[in-house]
Amino acid sequence: MSKVVEISPTTRHEGHSKLVLKVNDEGIVERGDWLSITPVRGVEKLAIGKTMHQVPKIASRVCGICPIAHTLAATEAMEASIGCEVPEDAMLLRYILQCANRLHSHALHNILSLPDMYLPGTDTKINPFSPEEPVRSVGLRIQRLREIAQTIGEIVGGEAIHPSNPRVGGMYTNISPLAKQKVYDLAKEGRVLAHEHSEFMIAVFRNFQKRDWAEVAGRQIPIPGDLGYHNQGYMAAAPIYGSSSMDENPTWFPERWTEVRPWDWYMGEEEITLEDKDYPVGGTTPAGEKTWPQMQACTGVPLYDGQPVEVGPRARLVQFRNYDEKGAMGLQIARQMEYEGCLYGIMEACDALDCSGKVLADEIPQGDGSLGWAANEAPRGCDVHLAKVKDGKVRWFSMLVPTTWNFPTCSRALTGAPWELAEVIVRAYDPCVSCATHMLVVDEDKRIVAQKLLE
Amino acid sequence: MVEKITVGHVHMSGCTGCLVSFVDNYEGLFKILDNYADIVYALTLADVRHVPEMDVALVEGSVCLQDKASVEEIKETREKAKVVVALGGCAAYGNITRFCRGGQWNQPQMESFVPIGDLIDVDVYIPGCAPTPQQIRNVCIMAYLLLKGTDEQKELATAYLKPLMDLAARGSDAKRSSDACGCDLMYDVINQGLCMGCGSCAAACPVRAISMEYGKPQIERDLCIKCGACYAQCPRSFFNFDVINEFEGITELITGVME
Amino acid sequence: MVLGNYKTCVAARSTDKEILKGAQDGGIVTQLFAYALEEGIIDGAIVAGPSDEPWKPEPIVATTKAELLAARGTKYNLSPNMSLLKEATRSYGLDRIGIVGTPCQMQAVRKAQLYPIGMRDVPDKVALAIGIFCMENFPYQSIEALVEDHCNVKMESVTKMDIGKGKFWAYTERGAVAQIPLKVTHKYEQPGCHVCLDYVSNLADVSTGSVGTPDGWSTVFVRTKIGDDVWSKASAAGCFETKEIESGKTGLELVTKLATDKITKNQKTLEGRATFGVGKGLRNPYL
Ligand SMILES: Cc1cc2nc3c(=O)[nH]c(=O)nc-3n(C[C@H](O)[C@H](O)[C@H](O)COP(=O)(O)OP(=O)(O)OC[C@H]3O[C@@H](n4cnc5c(N)ncnc54)[C@H](O)[C@@H]3O)c2cc1C
Ligand code: SF4
Ligand code: SF4
Ligand code: SF4
Ligand code: SF4
Repeated sequence: MSKVVEISPTTRHEGHSKLVLKVNDEGIVERGDWLSITPVRGVEKLAIGKTMHQVPKIASRVCGICPIAHTLAATEAMEASIGCEVPEDAMLLRYILQCANRLHSHALHNILSLPDMYLPGTDTKINPFSPEEPVRSVGLRIQRLREIAQTIGEIVGGEAIHPSNPRVGGMYTNISPLAKQKVYDLAKEGRVLAHEHSEFMIAVFRNFQKRDWAEVAGRQIPIPGDLGYHNQGYMAAAPIYGSSSMDENPTWFPERWTEVRPWDWYMGEEEITLEDKDYPVGGTTPAGEKTWPQMQACTGVPLYDGQPVEVGPRARLVQFRNYDEKGAMGLQIARQMEYEGCLYGIMEACDALDCSGKVLADEIPQGDGSLGWAANEAPRGCDVHLAKVKDGKVRWFSMLVPTTWNFPTCSRALTGAPWELAEVIVRAYDPCVSCATHMLVVDEDKRIVAQKLLE
Repeated sequence: MVEKITVGHVHMSGCTGCLVSFVDNYEGLFKILDNYADIVYALTLADVRHVPEMDVALVEGSVCLQDKASVEEIKETREKAKVVVALGGCAAYGNITRFCRGGQWNQPQMESFVPIGDLIDVDVYIPGCAPTPQQIRNVCIMAYLLLKGTDEQKELATAYLKPLMDLAARGSDAKRSSDACGCDLMYDVINQGLCMGCGSCAAACPVRAISMEYGKPQIERDLCIKCGACYAQCPRSFFNFDVINEFEGITELITGVME
Repeated sequence: MVLGNYKTCVAARSTDKEILKGAQDGGIVTQLFAYALEEGIIDGAIVAGPSDEPWKPEPIVATTKAELLAARGTKYNLSPNMSLLKEATRSYGLDRIGIVGTPCQMQAVRKAQLYPIGMRDVPDKVALAIGIFCMENFPYQSIEALVEDHCNVKMESVTKMDIGKGKFWAYTERGAVAQIPLKVTHKYEQPGCHVCLDYVSNLADVSTGSVGTPDGWSTVFVRTKIGDDVWSKASAAGCFETKEIESGKTGLELVTKLATDKITKNQKTLEGRATFGVGKGLRNPYL
């Protein structure tokens, strides 16, 4: 008979989430639910009635790790709603921001994944904060890559976290030739580091793939060859930047998106029947306690073509670069493969940027309530914001953020894994949970949405 | 080597930007962790799942009154930490969560978010959104000197932290406002006849809500996110001569500590 | 301590004729920034540049000598130079910033460095802070009133304004000079100046003003290590003509006296504020 084990809260990712796992006698997950338990700040609802200029600033603050993605997606959703064309140099600045954000975020994620990994050729797990070599050099390289990314973000975006320069209509200000030179030089330095670093990280993840076991809670847990495999599809709007309803040929399709309530998706009330006091650190939830995923989940379940999909680095590589490696490590490796592209992207955009070009549209319409959307390829995947703006005020706003897409997909990827390795799978998605608090848009017949929006 | 202090990061309803900012001390983060502080709790960085005893708790985010776990955790934090720091605008003033009003699936009842000072006594405020890496670093260093330093260092740390403690005392006092807004510049600086037109407030604002018009701040209230940075940065909000006059020495001290 | 900590105090003026021509006094500020710019000590400086309105300053980031020259001279109204301090490190791309300002602006710089609450990555990028002396400042409209109503001169035709020898002076293109006694100017002062406890920019790296030296010369206090370093290099490079500051009535004694007067007067204002109203009080920013 299957038993229920709960890991709550999960660690080494952004926000609060938990795992509720039904496991067989061997401890293999038969059904896994991974859900957000982060309080819902309700940004989509509080946005209603606020100005189109303020909402992107608030939207940025759902996540401090990918604030650039949220700022850009929200800003561009507003622009799409009001029908505002943004000058090309402003778009180049945004492109630089996009690349910088991905670079910093991937590097930060390395710090969070490394503790599950082993130094190749040893049975020693990696503590990224250890002062000992070779780890310290890796730690310093990660921080330098982040510093490069955050500094570029700060020069172009005004702030390293929550950029202040982007605005509806373009950017507040272009950058000086001196600033552009600085950005370019930083990117050049970063390119070399990123190359070394991605090779190192890929070697670490490959090493984990080859291992027979991983040590968890003092036990050697066998690592299955198909750790984290799933059969769901992928969704990505672009290799680097994104798409919006302003595009001639959009690459994201609102009519393919539907949603399900957590009530219909997640497990009902269960009693915890398996507990492990040694699970690091502090143990799993004590046996006898109750858990109720369908009531506790804080996010809805977005579907694309009626199915959960994976978004993120691998989705981008599958869609645009013929990548096909499955599993948790396949996803980790895909992420490392994106490093260098961020820096080339920055340099190319710098080359194209005219520092004296205008960066703000001459006219910023106030909007007539039409639906506009923007899909931004955030570090963790496609981040779609949808908005209706009328008379300068937001009338409707929705955020389909990456981790919300990944919750159900990753939940399926848990099946077949030893429960002790469930968090290793979850962490492969680089979950960013705080932002993943999104409203359901279901009409009376429990159907969507999209048709209604597109009227 | 002297004993380190223990530091935890407690995540309430925030965006993790505050923590990213701490990590944005880059190489300095390792310096702090090697020599001065052990991180004993931080769900985002380490596997410890329950709030332990600690010297300093850096609390990020406001508290959702409808989320029992959050309310319990903030109370536990107060019991277990010697010094509680409200890290960033959300913890100190509510920031954007001041705009929350519920109504969103899957928890439409979650509508009340309050700064942590509404539920527990807070010792130090670090306003701003995000708070800056350098301000967080300075508070960490001063907290270290306060708990482990010589008498002279303790005195300096106390003097340095005092204004940030005063902000916290004001924020945690139910009778006085714990609200923050660009309006503070109006109420507490210009209306008080204290503004001298330096422009620090405009520079500090993370959403460009402040422009200087004829030398005085104009606040775009429909942009302000209520982070508290402008007022705290204003030289006419607090200005402690005993500390700031020693800027050269203190800067050297901080550089030395981080080298 | 009314003059703050300093390593040296001298009388000086720039050796560059072009700088001196439009400078307020000895051209110390412009000369020192120009030298620092040339030597790569700073990448740019925040100064009070011209704007669309006559005599209304607009803070700018000057990265060339020409831009520094265009910002010479004292504008007796508010130039919120701090408002660019963070942006200078952002879209302008500066790593080493120069900034000039009144004593209160120097206080703002140091507060930003020690308490960088909204000033991420700014503290270690301030490479040279030059303070000017300041008895008081004015809102723009006050200066308009003083020049146009009291001096009967159009703002556009004024070439220089000055405060000295107990008077406010407006010089015009055609050589005419209008002057009014300072008692007329007092009511127009910026209220925030009445709680100000610093006359000679105690917290600057180098501070300078006209008081204490003859016309065309400046009084210079070299205060910090940074200031000392730049000042000695610039002097060695022949940027400045210097002489000893007089210790007598028109020299350092006068500076001390004016500083003491200002601080005493404003301390009184602060005391008065503490009991302003009935059983009430106004806020004291220094507590
Ligand atoms: C409001 C005010 C009051 C003053 N009061 C006194 C006084 O009581 N006693 C005294 O000895 N000196 C006073 N000064 C200083 C004096 O007028 C000269 O500015 C100083 O001596 C520098 O002259 P300089 O020839 O070296 O500078 P310059 O080479 O002429 O350069 C002056 C620099 O100051 C900048 N600047 C001009 N106006 C402002 C402003 N409003 N705010 C910030 N920066 C500005 C300019 O952009 C320029 O970079 C005052 C200055 C100001 C702005
Ligand atoms: S203060 Fe800003 S950075 Fe910190 S949690 Fe709140 S929104 Fe995020
Ligand atoms: S920071 Fe400066 S300009 Fe802003 S309110 Fe304070 S004194 Fe006035
Ligand atoms: S005006 Fe800007 S700095 Fe001030 S509280 Fe509002 S958002 Fe923060
Ligand atoms: S008198 Fe003081 S407050 Fe006023 S401008 Fe001068 S230095 Fe600033």
